[in-house]
Order: sequence, then C-alpha cells, then structure tokens
Amino acid sequence: MSDWRRIDIDAFDPESGRLTSKDIEPPYPSQVTLQELSTKISQLRSLASSGDAKSAVALAVSDPPYSGDESTKNEYFKVVLETLSNVRQADISGIVSGLTPIQQDVLVKYLYKGMSIPEGQKQGGILLAWFERVTQVAGVRPVSHFINDRNTV
Amino acid sequence: MSSQSVSAVFKLVKAPIYSHCFSQDKSLLAVTCKNDCLIYRFTNGSPQLVATLSNHDKTVTAVDISIHGRIVTCSQDRNAYVWEPLSDGTYKPTLVLLRINRAATCVSWAPSGYKFAVGSSARIIAVCYYEQENNWWVSKHIKKPIKSTVGCLSWHSNGVLLASGGTDGYMRIFSGFVKGLDSKDAVAGSPWGDKFPFGALVREFYHGSYIEDVEWRSSIESIGYVSHEGTLNVVDANNNHSQVNAPDGLPFNTLLWINDHEILCAGFSNHPVLFAEATGGWQFAKDLDKPASTDLSAHNTGNNNNNEDLDESEDVSATFGISALRKFKQLDLKGKVSTDVNETAHENTITQLLPYQETNGQVTQASACGLDGKVVIYNI
Repeated sequence: MSDWRRIDIDAFDPESGRLTSKDIEPPYPSQVTLQELSTKISQLRSLASSGDAKSAVALAVSDPPYSGDESTKNEYFKVVLETLSNVRQADISGIVSGLTPIQQDVLVKYLYKGMSIPEGQKQGGILLAWFERVTQVAGVRPVSHFINDRNTV
Repeated sequence: MSSQSVSAVFKLVKAPIYSHCFSQDKSLLAVTCKNDCLIYRFTNGSPQLVATLSNHDKTVTAVDISIHGRIVTCSQDRNAYVWEPLSDGTYKPTLVLLRINRAATCVSWAPSGYKFAVGSSARIIAVCYYEQENNWWVSKHIKKPIKSTVGCLSWHSNGVLLASGGTDGYMRIFSGFVKGLDSKDAVAGSPWGDKFPFGALVREFYHGSYIEDVEWRSSIESIGYVSHEGTLNVVDANNNHSQVNAPDGLPFNTLLWINDHEILCAGFSNHPVLFAEATGGWQFAKDLDKPASTDLSAHNTGNNNNNEDLDESEDVSATFGISALRKFKQLDLKGKVSTDVNETAHENTITQLLPYQETNGQVTQASACGLDGKVVIYNI
C-alpha cells in the first residue's frame, strides 16, 4: 500500500459524480451544422477574392461556430486560415486594431488552434505574425481569455 | 509607498496569506499562515501576535470572524474549527465535522453569526449551525448540481440566499435556510423566488471559466463575481448581465462592493482596480496604488497610444528590436539601485479584499492580504 496516494478514491464511490468532459461543455441551445455555415463561408471567399481583407477577417472572427462538432469546426477553421494567410504582412496591424475586443479574443483562439494542428503549423510563420500584432495591440487579455474560455473553436 | 491610496502596510509573515479577517471593532486581525491561524491585536496601530490557533494539520485555507467574535477556520485537512474567545485571551476550539472527503476551500459566517457555510473540493457546500441539545455543530450538505470545486461563497444580508462560484464555471445561488434559525419573513418579497427550502438551487448563471470570488450587494439585489479570465461580472434577479475586462488582462482573485455603483477588484496585478457603473454598463474607473511610471508600463501605454504608427510594419519591427534591447538593459540593472523603481504596496498577488471602514453604506477603506505575507489598508 505504499502507493496509496495514487488510489482513485472516486472509483469506490458510485455517487461521486465525477467531472466528465461533457460536464464542462457550455450549455448550447442548439448545434450549428456545416450547412448553416455555408453562406458565411462563401461570403468569406468572395470578400477575400475581392481583396477586402479587412471585412473578411472581421467576418471570419465574428460569431464563430462554438456549438459545432469537431469536423464542422475544422472545416470552418480552414476557411479562417485561408482568410488570414491572404492578408499582406503590412496590413495585419491595421486590421487587428480595427477589431472589437471580442473579435480579437476569437482571433487568438484561431491562432492557437492553428498552431495545434498540422494544417496550421504549415502556415506557422503567418500565424505567429498575427499573434505578435494582436498581443501588441491588446496585451495579454486575449491570451488569458483563450486559456480560460470553454467555448472552443 | 508614498501613494495616497495606501493607508497602512503590515508585513506579518514570511508565507502567503490566503485569507484574513478583522474583528468587528478592528482591534483583532486573524490571518492564515501555513497550518496555523495567527491572531494579532492592534495597540497604537501596530499589530502584536497574541494567539496561534494550531489545531489544523494541513494548510489553512480560510478564516472568518462572526459579529460575536467567534472565529471559524477551515483547512485542506477537511475540517473546520470554531474558536470561542475566552476572557483570558485564549480560544477554545470546537471541531466541526464537515463530512467531506476533499479539502475545504472557503468559509463564510452568515450575517446573523449563528451559522456558516464551507465550500470544498468535494463538490459540496456544508452549511453548519450549532445545536444546543447536542452541544455540537451540525453540518448539512448542499450537493446538487455542483460539478466541481467550490471556491467562493457569499451570504445575502437576509442570511438565506447563498451565492457560490467555483471551477465548474457556474455562479449559483442556493438557499441556506435553516429551520429554527431563519424566519420566512427575511425572504418575503424576494425577487429571487417564493420558496426557499434548504439546499434548493435558486438560480444559476453559466460563465465558463473559474469563478474566483463572488459577493452579494443585497441592497440592490445584485451579485458581482470575478473570473479567472480577468473579468468582473454583475448580475441581478432579472438576469441582466454586465461584464468588463481587467485593464491589464490579468485575472482577479477578489472583489469588494464599495457602494451600489462601484466595485473594487484585485488579483495578479498586485494593486486594486476600481470599476464604476455608468449608463453604458460597468466600466474601468481607476487604478489604486499603481506605480506611476516604470519603464515597462510606459512602454505599454506608448504602444496603446500609437496604434496608428503600427500600420507600418517596418516601424513595428524597428520599435520591437529597440524594446528588446531596452529589456536587456533593464535586466542588466537588476540588483542595483535604480531611481525609477516604484513598487506597489503589495509585492505579490492579492488574495482577498474586505471592507475596513464604512460610512453610510460606502466603504472608505479596504483591507487586502496577499501572497507576499502582507496586509494592506487602502483608502478608496
């Protein structure tokens, strides 16, 4: 019994009600699907092709599909990444300062998500450039919001 | 420390203080220190250690003093003690069996002083009261629907409604109604509901990140709470919700209502921050005891003011390089005397704010304890 500190005491208590990953999911009224996002995605693509990077980024980080399942979130992330990588380096600061604080928070969530998956890591340099500009404008606030928020992108 | 907002600084111990409490007449101060609770008596404004309450065998997490002068302490050893002051200046401990299998995290006397609530990591709030016939503190549990550690508690002035917050991201209001202690008149006409049987969930607000502290403002039936993402939130019985960010983005640990329209918050930035309610919702009002201009903050504000300059990417990388150089130069200064070192009264995270002096429902002085082992009195 030398290892008694490692005993999972909750396993002996059927009524422990231990915290599951489901318990910390925010209570969403409904789940957003990829179909519902398709208009937004095509809107993003047309904005990007017309060269209006500022509106494209602002739209991409507004009202993200928090309640969607993993595949929906990943599909949407690809479009966001496309939008971000289409912006010229010199324009990034201007766009970031034009975002609302909530949009900046969402942007940082997408930057972290990008750096955590292979698709994003290929564009790592671009994501880091965005990250540098956001933290220059907004400080550590978006980062601490990202770490603590259970609404994931 | 020449700052006007700091009234007094007491360096008490060489360990973090997680919780402190002054007695009603401010003559006694109780602070947690490792496995003990230390009692200081103030004579001519200077604290003198008069008692050490040392029955706990794990870290003491919280202390509170009732209006009658009874001290309650709770600890990671899963116990709480009520300490009855005796005439010779010592304290008589009574163990309170909380019946929890995890650490006790926070404790709060009800305004009446006849019961108290203890939050715990066992997803339980224990409401404890004294039973005369058994000569024993009884503990009743509130369990559902708490899903994680309870980290903070606050009683409504009616002594029935109990607000709690914790790591499951919910701020919940429970009824802590104890038959024989509380009367139904206290909650008659309450905007929060009609019936308040013990343990009933009155209302819950989902927030999403850890809730670090919660406090009732009973006069306007509102609750303020601070969360680990660095926000102050205010909710009321009509489910109105107002949120405001910490100016420097660092999390808050504690809040204190100054009056119906002002709240003081403090946490990882080592100095308190005042928020005020304006027509457009709650807003940042001012910093208390903030160092006037250290190099770092000057650099930050420079960045905020010159957003237009950031448009040119060459400019940005140029200032970025210089700021890195400046940083190394600053590091080079470490350990030497420098004129622009201007420190806050608290040198580390502030863990708890409490009212110290009040006039007409307005807090004029607040006390704060912190991880630096100090208790500081701030002028508002």
